[in-house]
Amino acid sequence: MDRRHFLKHASALGGSVALAQLGVLAARAQTVATDYKALVCLFLYGGNDANNTIVPIDSAGYASYAAVRGRLALAQGTLLPLVEASGTAGFGLHPALGGTAGLQGLWESAQLAIVRNVGTLVQPLTKTQYLSPSTAKPASLFSHIDQQHQWQASLSVSPSDTGWGGRLADQLAILNSGGSIPSMVSTAGNNLFVTGRATQALTIPTSGSFALQGFDNSAGGIARLAALKSLLGVDRGTDLLDAAQDVMTGALASSAVLNPILTNTTSPVSSYFTGLTSSFAKQMLAVAKVIEARASLGVQRQVFLVSLGSFDTHTDELNTHDTLFGDLGAGLKAFHDAMTGIGAAQQVTSFTLSDFSRTYLPNTNGGSDHGWGSHHFVAGGAVKGRAYYGTWPTLTVGGPDDEGSEGRWIPTTAVDQYAATLASWFGADASALASVLPNLASFSPATLGFV
Amino acid sequence: MSSAPTAPASPVASTSSAPSTSLPVPGMTTVDAARLLEQATFGPTEAEVTRVAALGLNGYLTQQLATQPTGYWGFVFVPHTAPTNCKSDPTNPTSTASLCARDNYSPFQVQREFFENALTGADQLRQRVAFALSQIMVVSSIEIYEAYGMAAYQNMLLNDAFGNYRQLLEDVTLSPIMGHYLDMANNDKSNPSQGTSPNENYAREVLQLFSIGLNQLNPDGTPVLDANNQPVPTYTQDVILGFASLFTGWTYPSRPGANSTWNNPINFEGTMVSFPNHHESGTKLLLNGVVTPAGQTPEQDLKLALDTVFNHPNVGPFIGKQLIQHLVKSNPSPGYVSRVAAVFANNGLGVRGDLAAVVRAILSDVEARGNTPSSADEGHLREPALYITSVLRGLGGRSDGVFLRSQANAMGQPIFTAPTVFNYYPPSYQLPGTSTVAPEFFIDDAATALARANFLNTLIYRGGAAPDPTVINSIGTTLDLAPLTTAGTPDALVNQLSTRLMHGSLSSAAHAAITRALGALASDDVVGQARAAAYLVASSAQFQVEH
Repeated sequence: MDRRHFLKHASALGGSVALAQLGVLAARAQTVATDYKALVCLFLYGGNDANNTIVPIDSAGYASYAAVRGRLALAQGTLLPLVEASGTAGFGLHPALGGTAGLQGLWESAQLAIVRNVGTLVQPLTKTQYLSPSTAKPASLFSHIDQQHQWQASLSVSPSDTGWGGRLADQLAILNSGGSIPSMVSTAGNNLFVTGRATQALTIPTSGSFALQGFDNSAGGIARLAALKSLLGVDRGTDLLDAAQDVMTGALASSAVLNPILTNTTSPVSSYFTGLTSSFAKQMLAVAKVIEARASLGVQRQVFLVSLGSFDTHTDELNTHDTLFGDLGAGLKAFHDAMTGIGAAQQVTSFTLSDFSRTYLPNTNGGSDHGWGSHHFVAGGAVKGRAYYGTWPTLTVGGPDDEGSEGRWIPTTAVDQYAATLASWFGADASALASVLPNLASFSPATLGFV
Repeated sequence: MSSAPTAPASPVASTSSAPSTSLPVPGMTTVDAARLLEQATFGPTEAEVTRVAALGLNGYLTQQLATQPTGYWGFVFVPHTAPTNCKSDPTNPTSTASLCARDNYSPFQVQREFFENALTGADQLRQRVAFALSQIMVVSSIEIYEAYGMAAYQNMLLNDAFGNYRQLLEDVTLSPIMGHYLDMANNDKSNPSQGTSPNENYAREVLQLFSIGLNQLNPDGTPVLDANNQPVPTYTQDVILGFASLFTGWTYPSRPGANSTWNNPINFEGTMVSFPNHHESGTKLLLNGVVTPAGQTPEQDLKLALDTVFNHPNVGPFIGKQLIQHLVKSNPSPGYVSRVAAVFANNGLGVRGDLAAVVRAILSDVEARGNTPSSADEGHLREPALYITSVLRGLGGRSDGVFLRSQANAMGQPIFTAPTVFNYYPPSYQLPGTSTVAPEFFIDDAATALARANFLNTLIYRGGAAPDPTVINSIGTTLDLAPLTTAGTPDALVNQLSTRLMHGSLSSAAHAAITRALGALASDDVVGQARAAAYLVASSAQFQVEH
């Protein structure tokens, strides 16, 4: 039923473009120019070790950190101080995340905030409650796919078939009714985060052409294209066939609009990415190009999903982090500089999600194992940056915030609160928030004010 | 449903002069034979359909189960760190060093051979099952970039595909390739002075992905529910810590002639070797309350652990259901799963874990057999590898695999290069807004759907791919559409394609849409008609969703 609803929606989109009058399009562009917002989710697959992302740099804090982390400890002198508005710095960034050309630069221009010890929760949880069998806790803690899904769904009680990005897009669909592409765009394939009840994401490639090839204007070519499209509408009524047909229908409609945008090599945003060759940078560039074209695309609220993998550092963590954080820091800085360059800094907010953090206690292979609560980045011109939100956990193995004896921090802020803060900025009112985040009422405050 | 398939829909055993009365007819209809070949091979060919229809189901399966692996050959050991004369130079991709890197330090040659074997190997069923196993017990070239290592792992799966699951589990566990991928190699006992504890990676994934899964299952694959209607976990974090401790004390095998010491250099030939003084010596909590005695050797501990996992009641439904999903359908009924799980539990001779018997049960089941599925919404999306090989095998294709491996990449399934141990797609993935499970659809999106269509365009309208001068005996990639040019009429042409590619199951509505398009071409343009018809049938959702 939802699938049919989705198809109707998809063809309505196609129709609206065909029927739109020039004047209507112009008015739409005007509206989008003054009221546009984008959320860009950066999913760090594998579970990023937040313990080596933000590190205490005061003498006592660092000494305690180094004593536990042993061979995983970053050298104190390499950490990039995060100077707060007060002029002091209690924490430093992993050096590969970048100085002024990376995340330290975004922090210093107050475009970067850090939300501490966020994680999947059913309700606020003390260690005593955690150890009690009768307290509700997230299912399948420490399992990659389950914890990814819970972060993407912002629901930890039971499996969800939608994500909070998708439900947010559902709620704000009215603002996107004039759009020529779906409101959600992924460079990371299908994903629960961008799955709504009525709204699905479009996946775009980050290199090469995004076009159906091989059709010319000969009679045979025209007839074959007509047959291709006609085949997408026959034998409807079974989920598997419908799904294959719907994906292709959406691909044909959206690629026609987006291919010129994505393959444009002279776009002003491209220059910000000069010299960056990582997959992450290519994804961010593709997102930047779509945002740059926002007025012509007519979508007022866009949700993007970008991913960066290989954070599952059970071994060789130091080298792996150097590579991944190099990509993350440079790509994110370039992206937000590009947003500033096209006058969209205030309208675009990016943020990280990840499966979980990792054990504070290192393992015997130069790595760390699956953890829980984690620190996350939020970036953009609208962010109340150069500041921390949420509560720092007590970094003591076996201590009050450790679920066991390896340093897996019990979260002190719920994914729901993190998501609600972003969703509120995006335009969700109280009633929309309740739909997007059905378990939000279990946590207080509902929003954290970082954007 | 089907619009007049041209193939005879009756058993083909009549040319035999054997007495016709009481002997069971071994053959099967050509339609069911073609459908079986879609499930058991990398795609039907005309010759195989004829042969299998005559052999019959049991005869065919018996022959396939006894066929030895084609396998991956010619790969040699290289050190983990490439020497400077074997590093890729992006500015000169055909330099000797770049080609050395491509052939030894990337999956290129293994992926290419995968397609060669899939297109021409006699061990079709073995290859299909091994490919399914490679997506359950996953290693990825993202970390196993040495070609000889990936080839060795895939050869192991091919060898074990019809053996016993207990042996497979042990071979996977002691494989230095898996040991490298999930860090059991060099997993040391805890070190109090350094504050380190054993690595949990293999412990967690061998349970979650390779054997029993997260939650207790009924024999029919449905979850056991507690009094509050919640699933019941199969293990706790304490069990993970137990298995993590148990999997300590193993390292890579030494190279011939080299001393074997703890932390041997990375070597993917042979099986991992134990060092008891690096093995955690205490007791370990396993599944279902089993605790290992303290002081056992690494081998004793391993045997107890693998026996415990092997005998867990989840293994049959957990592994059996995934094999069904890879071979036959995304949504097997609980009855189908339970019939297969029962064969896993006992092959009829009292043996648990007989994978040959499991595969036979899967392909012989009432839900797999017959000319058409019992309900409309069956089957599964052909994953990119199968989509590619089915088109080639159905349309007289030849390939050295060079072009095909790049096309699998574009369609979201780089061969043996899943993004993580969780494979390209989760077995539980559901289509949005439905309760229909459809794992392969996880990687079907706008970008990859266009890649499928554009693959056909290159093959059909641009002549495929030329031979690659940097690959020995390269033949490029081509189709043979000539047989399609003599079909006679658009109607017969479309029927022929439906028969070759999809056991005659193209619907009349789809048939009509395609023949209409052929009418726009000159009636004597038989090449143009053959091309257009092949493109439209092979790009249709009806072909992409095998059923």
